Amino acid sequence: MQDWWIVTGITVVYLIVVLAVGLRARSQQDSTLVGYVAGGRELGLVILFFIMGAEIFSAFAFLGGPGWAYGLGAPGLYIMAYLGLGLLPWWILGPKAARLGRKYGYLTQADLISDRFSSKGLSAIIALVSVAAFIPYLTLQITGAGYLFEAATGGNVPFWLGALAAFVIVAIYVYTSGLRGIGWTNVLQGIIMVVVAWTIGLTVAYRFYGGVGSMFREIQAKAPEYLTLPGAGDGMSWAAFSTAILVSAIGFTMWPHLFMKSYGADSERTIKKTIIIYPLYGYLLIPILIIGFAGILVFQDNPLDNQDNVLPQLVVNVANFSPWLIGILLSGALAAAMSTGANLAHSASTVLVRDLFVAVFDRDMPEQRVVSLTKGFVVVLSVVAYLLALVNPASLVDLLLGAYGGVVQFFPLIVAVFFWKRATTAGAWAGLIVGSLVTLLFTFFVTTPFEIHAGIWGFIANIILLVGVSLATRPMPEEHVKRFVEGSKAPLEEIGESQTSQPSA
Amino acid sequence: MDRERKIALVMGAYFLICTLAMIWPGAVIANRVEPMIFGLPFFFFWYVLWVFMVFIGTIILYRWEYGGRS
Repeated sequence: MQDWWIVTGITVVYLIVVLAVGLRARSQQDSTLVGYVAGGRELGLVILFFIMGAEIFSAFAFLGGPGWAYGLGAPGLYIMAYLGLGLLPWWILGPKAARLGRKYGYLTQADLISDRFSSKGLSAIIALVSVAAFIPYLTLQITGAGYLFEAATGGNVPFWLGALAAFVIVAIYVYTSGLRGIGWTNVLQGIIMVVVAWTIGLTVAYRFYGGVGSMFREIQAKAPEYLTLPGAGDGMSWAAFSTAILVSAIGFTMWPHLFMKSYGADSERTIKKTIIIYPLYGYLLIPILIIGFAGILVFQDNPLDNQDNVLPQLVVNVANFSPWLIGILLSGALAAAMSTGANLAHSASTVLVRDLFVAVFDRDMPEQRVVSLTKGFVVVLSVVAYLLALVNPASLVDLLLGAYGGVVQFFPLIVAVFFWKRATTAGAWAGLIVGSLVTLLFTFFVTTPFEIHAGIWGFIANIILLVGVSLATRPMPEEHVKRFVEGSKAPLEEIGESQTSQPSA
Repeated sequence: MDRERKIALVMGAYFLICTLAMIWPGAVIANRVEPMIFGLPFFFFWYVLWVFMVFIGTIILYRWEYGGRS
């Protein structure tokens, strides 16, 4: 098929446009670290919304989501549930994080936690847990980009080359424009992705079944187990399904890259408006899951080797779309992988440099050097994730759920920072470390009891230790903890600009 | 009871219901195919419905919090 030239051409043009938009944004900001990380602290509603929104439209949504609907059926709905619920804790936590961030000039999540618990070592642990969670997430994006290129070009662009191309572009625009670059690219990509998802979802249902309703009728007649829990194949028990929703919803706002963005918000109303629009992003999963369900009967006689490939397989090899349309569809899905990838690479390297290198080893590192080191790690982490993508073909959903088990461990600490004066340094250490170890244990070494998500067991252990050890150790100075509990109550609008641009540690 | 407390209690309860509706035990009652709504199996529609309920809840909360203040 020579049509693949058209597909590749459209995709290349699209990637160039994305790069150009990202680079253009660069000329509009200064090059200080505050500018690079928090977008100069004046992000408007539209940009903030799309930066957070791009989170949803990741390779996970376009490949892992349909993959689960195709492989298991109803359990795929867990994604829609957690997207609906995930931002709710932020209504309370977000404004508080923004207030303290502005007041004390924090840039990362660990800045806040280590300042409250007066422990730089804690900052290092948080950095390591964060990066451990980021890498599978980044790997997932790269793997997704590789599948998409490979499928859409009929194998003419091999997996390794497609993945490489997408992530060289990501690294370039994160490298050159920081957060603002990500913001503008996400505005462009967000719009395209919504259009693409609904177009593919509805078209696929009509082409194979004559409509969404008749598609589900047919599945009901031939394979009804897909439409309710526990789903087809191994399926998912109620315990597994419910705790997957909980761990994702609780962990959602704890992702360092989302948390960091609250420091860049210009008002509390902006934060809350973002939360209001957010559940609607969950509706993107409607067409996405429909695509997966469509695959159930289409591939009934020849099951796919890799369930995550169901969307590209349907669109490219079965549905007979014109190459022009495939090119646009591919670009949209690739955009999803890349924008999230850019976001992740940027945040992971910021966390690693600031919370590990600067906080622990070299507190007086000149800012110029921090910026260049951060940029260096964008490249390093992208390469690591790329290499993992080449060797690790785990299911995309499993990669993401594993990562959530890690970030959910930050939640008890953040809540304690804002609400619990009695929490102590020892309690924070004990909770975070034991919680993370319990999660690791039940993820990799021991089958998790009662099919409850490993992250939830870690979360429970974390809370018990945080509370128990805190109560058993001496309280921290009242003056110190008051800065956080009382300090986070004053509305953002009354705080004004931060006194210094450095954390007051 | 002051206004802020009341808002927190009522909306907290509301969102708790939304959460329980989407996991065990709330979602158990919706675990069936019939009746299909908008062409979607009932279990699928259930999630579409509750995501909408969360959306409505946040709008009410926003208006309530900022109501009467410019």
